[in-house]
Amino acid sequence: MALEDPFSILEKYLSAEEYVVVGREFTRVDALDKALGRALFTEDYFIRYLQGNALFIKQVLSPHPHALIKAIHVDEAMGVAGVKAVVTHRDIPGVNQVGYALPDQPLLAERKVRYVGEVVALVAAESWEKAVEASQLVKVDYEPLPYVLDPLEAMSRTDILVHDEAGSNIAFKTRVRKGDVEKGFAEADVVVENEYRTHHQDHVYLETEAALAIPDSEGRITIIGAAQHPHLARDIAARVLGVPAGRVKVVVPYLGGGFGGKDDEGPLTISKAALVAYLTGRPAFIVYSREESIRIHPKREATIIRYKSGARRDGKLTAIDVTIIHDTGAYANRAPFILWRATMHASGPYEVPNARVDGYAVYTNKVYQGSFRGFGNPSIQFAVERQMDQLAEKLGLDPVEFRLMNILRPGSRTLTNQELDHSVGVGEALKKVAERSNWISKRREFDAFNKAEKRFKKGIGVGVAWHGISTSRGVPDWSNAVLKVEKDGSVVVFTGIVEMGQGSPTSSHVQIVSEILGVPPEMVRVVFGTSDAPDTGATHASRGTGIGGIGVEVAAGKIRERLARLAGDLLGVEPDKLVFREGRVYPRDNPERYIRWVDLVREAYARGVELSATGYFFLPKGKFDDTTGQGFAYPAFSYIVVVSEVEVDTETGVVRVTRVWPALASGRIISPLQVEGQVEGAVAQGLGYTLFEKLVFDERGGIVNADLTDYVIPTALDMPVVEKPIYVEDVYKYGALGAKGVGEMALIPLPASIANAVSHALGVNVTRLPLTPEYILQLEGVLRR
Amino acid sequence: MFYKLPSFEYFKARSVGEALELAGKIGDYRFLAGGTDLLVDLKIGRYKPRAILDIGGLRELSYIINDGSRVRIGALTRLEDILRSSVVRERLPLLHEAVYHMASWQIRSVATIGGNIGNASPAADTAPPLLVHDAIVKTRSVRGERAVRLEEFIQGPRRTLLEPGEMIVEFEVPASPGLEEYWAYRKFGRRSAFTLSVVGLAVGAEFLEGSPVFKVSLNSVAPKPVRARSVEEYLKGKTLTDSVIETASKIVQQDISPITDVRATAEYRRHLATVLLKDALKEIAGRLRR
Ligand SMILES: Cc1cc2nc3c(=O)[nH]c(=O)nc-3n(C[C@H](O)[C@H](O)[C@H](O)COP(=O)(O)OP(=O)(O)OC[C@H]3O[C@@H](n4cnc5c(N)ncnc54)[C@H](O)[C@@H]3O)c2cc1C
Repeated sequence: MALEDPFSILEKYLSAEEYVVVGREFTRVDALDKALGRALFTEDYFIRYLQGNALFIKQVLSPHPHALIKAIHVDEAMGVAGVKAVVTHRDIPGVNQVGYALPDQPLLAERKVRYVGEVVALVAAESWEKAVEASQLVKVDYEPLPYVLDPLEAMSRTDILVHDEAGSNIAFKTRVRKGDVEKGFAEADVVVENEYRTHHQDHVYLETEAALAIPDSEGRITIIGAAQHPHLARDIAARVLGVPAGRVKVVVPYLGGGFGGKDDEGPLTISKAALVAYLTGRPAFIVYSREESIRIHPKREATIIRYKSGARRDGKLTAIDVTIIHDTGAYANRAPFILWRATMHASGPYEVPNARVDGYAVYTNKVYQGSFRGFGNPSIQFAVERQMDQLAEKLGLDPVEFRLMNILRPGSRTLTNQELDHSVGVGEALKKVAERSNWISKRREFDAFNKAEKRFKKGIGVGVAWHGISTSRGVPDWSNAVLKVEKDGSVVVFTGIVEMGQGSPTSSHVQIVSEILGVPPEMVRVVFGTSDAPDTGATHASRGTGIGGIGVEVAAGKIRERLARLAGDLLGVEPDKLVFREGRVYPRDNPERYIRWVDLVREAYARGVELSATGYFFLPKGKFDDTTGQGFAYPAFSYIVVVSEVEVDTETGVVRVTRVWPALASGRIISPLQVEGQVEGAVAQGLGYTLFEKLVFDERGGIVNADLTDYVIPTALDMPVVEKPIYVEDVYKYGALGAKGVGEMALIPLPASIANAVSHALGVNVTRLPLTPEYILQLEGVLRR
Repeated sequence: MFYKLPSFEYFKARSVGEALELAGKIGDYRFLAGGTDLLVDLKIGRYKPRAILDIGGLRELSYIINDGSRVRIGALTRLEDILRSSVVRERLPLLHEAVYHMASWQIRSVATIGGNIGNASPAADTAPPLLVHDAIVKTRSVRGERAVRLEEFIQGPRRTLLEPGEMIVEFEVPASPGLEEYWAYRKFGRRSAFTLSVVGLAVGAEFLEGSPVFKVSLNSVAPKPVRARSVEEYLKGKTLTDSVIETASKIVQQDISPITDVRATAEYRRHLATVLLKDALKEIAGRLRR
């Protein structure tokens, strides 16, 4: 194989004997700037550089869940001094179509509105006060239509259609047919059947959506904005403007959190700012207030999951029969992908010979479904893991023991009948965390405690989850980066991956370059989040390091091959025998015979060795049959196990999560500190989802608690002790240095583990989230349902 | 929603006298103390006064005075100052405890006790302790001073006995050895900190000729913070045995009339009132036995 072949580069560094930067403590590049409040976020660019110069954009929202737009009157609003534009669908020069999976969504409402909060018009004025004032003067004539809010009702009706063209309110269907389900249940000695319900969650990123568009010369526009995939945002903005993509440039500065929400809303935010700048020729700035953010942007979907599963007395699962219904809301957005993921993960990380899974994404007249850390997986793993606990109980088996009897291992076939050949460390992670948390003795200890104690009850529960890495099926996925070594030896990397708190471009990418080229981290700079870098895909799906890092690794690997050949010539040594470390290159057996990195680079420039490279890598995929839901679903899976301990006050109904034990089987751990941060953050966000957070809708589908007074997120005092994660480094051959992905992971099984712990504590069957005190008291029979 | 503040005339008073004079003249005004309630209310359009009278800077109404049988607290005393006051901690521990559980350091550093009561929210957290202490609200206008019992002063949601031109200047809080030692406070919110009361409860015992007299107050369970008179009546002359506590905590249902809102159902608030009262009385019973 050629030396610069990406496969051989990945293989080479996957099996390195030793890493000196990777896997070690590492201070991220942006740590100090963020600690000191110096880091610049989108709004900072407006405040520092363009306030007073840029137009401020205010959005006009629909007050109706479903209505025809008869007319939009803008004259009065235009009459307000300082107002420069009132933009409606009529003014869009390109295509008013921003749907991701299906072409069902306008940027600005056209013909009808489909949820309370849908954006109908943009008002741009010299000051935000004027923009707010004028926005109240935009008069829209609506003809209200009947609406549907409940997904079950929406599924069964065709007289009210959220999208008339679709002919049904079912936006998308998925299915899995594996083996013979009837036979599977006939073989089962125990069967458990439940209906589960989960709820909407808002991302509540610290930084709400924002974008600043600056018209350039030559008809170009640059947008500094909050998004998770600069290239996608650029492409959508270009389509809306009706200009070639190359005329639009998107730069994503530091993000104050994304969690998937900015992957959906970011391109729309950026398109709105671009549209105003394009139409007025002025810089234009948009920022959502918290209330607008909650009303407008897509949410983690509410779900209804009907789940039946059976197992034999020897502890083997025989069959599952699952129906998943997602409340998709007004627009499909990424609902088909989210539903697809939920469907193909519906078995949990277990071997199930017979399976039937049906999924439905259902339109309703509510805020729509979108990406959110876990992407359809937390709700289905909640159902799976509640089922597993109840099956174990019926079989008289310990919940961990029962899981281990069915857990995926190398050579196993998944729900979609995909064979897993390597990188399957979940069983080991489960065993280790059970040991570390004293699972068996705690279960007994708490049982005894609960017998003696009346008011407070203790429980311990486990949640195991898997999460497919990369895009599904044969959907293309790739990584890329451009790496340049400058004449002074410093290294610059360009990537489209963004920095949204997770630290991929400011820690793991730097570590990878530093490791491979042997240069100190201070000499490496990663320019991130720019559409000027080659398209690197989105920073979502836990892929910033595992996949985003491949491009960095391959590009660095190519440069190293070139420099190793040069150094080999200079030192008279086989290139393979050279070590690149701490700014020196030397033969492994003679560190004293070194050439300095900076000198080697100078030589390269003098002798015509190219020191720029791209790190393109296209992930190999397999075949999938959508009619049976069988085949290659994902290149690999990342795994996590979480054990949670809870204490329940049976009189107030309050659940306190006291301790969480995480164990990851997510391949190589490149940046342990960042991984801990991701785990802790996901525990906080997952805890909020499980205990407090819930959107409340009024009878017209409007959000009642669209503010942080009544949308309750956790505080530091609500956090449990999060133990140091256990790592099973089940490296994956097509991940950056074997990394799979971590960002979403801890959130996925956390609701399940807490629900299992509460069920254990109280001896009840938790089937709903969130676990509010009132729900707990209903489970206890103290309050009416 | 980037709510725009409505336009208004703004006056900054340099003294209480000046504030009262302006108030008498303007008629359609709102006092601005810390503004942590008022600014929100202005933005959402609850009030649209012609003028805002800023009294926040009047140091003369920011004080805590230990005055023998009572503690006098100036209306413009900030919550953070109350929290740090050793007088309050020792003589009005219920108030100390309630303020400890209010808002966050940032909010407490600007919010005032006068604003909390002046706002007359059913969820005002300083109200239950002040009600247990039978606090007196001192008001002043160009016409002179009045003293009104807090229990009467708050009339309902955002309604008080304050007359046009009148300002709250002080809370006169009777202190007693009993309440310094025999008290219990519960705030039940939707999370562990920085949360509004779903139910708040203050209980204390005073001594009359050697036997305890119990005083109980709750917020967020009625249109205004209330004293639980039926409970107090029932507890008169009784010893806090388990069965007495059990009965008392059920009787509280007669003193409350909660509603269902986005924070909790009426049914759950009723349930909580009983649970929290039982807890609080048990805590006091424990202290009384020592
Ligand atoms: C984030 C946040 C958290 C909060 N948490 C809590 C909490 O946990 N518990 C709680 O009880 N409250 C809470 N509040 C509400 C608020 O902070 C308190 O009620 C506070 O004490 C109000 O005081 P202020 O000085 O800010 O009042 P302002 O907002 O200035 O005034 C409130 C009202 O009282 C009137 N007023 C003020 N002073 C006087 C006076 N001297 N005479 C006559 N009228 C007067 C004003 O005209 C206005 O109508 C919270 C508020 C916020 C924003």
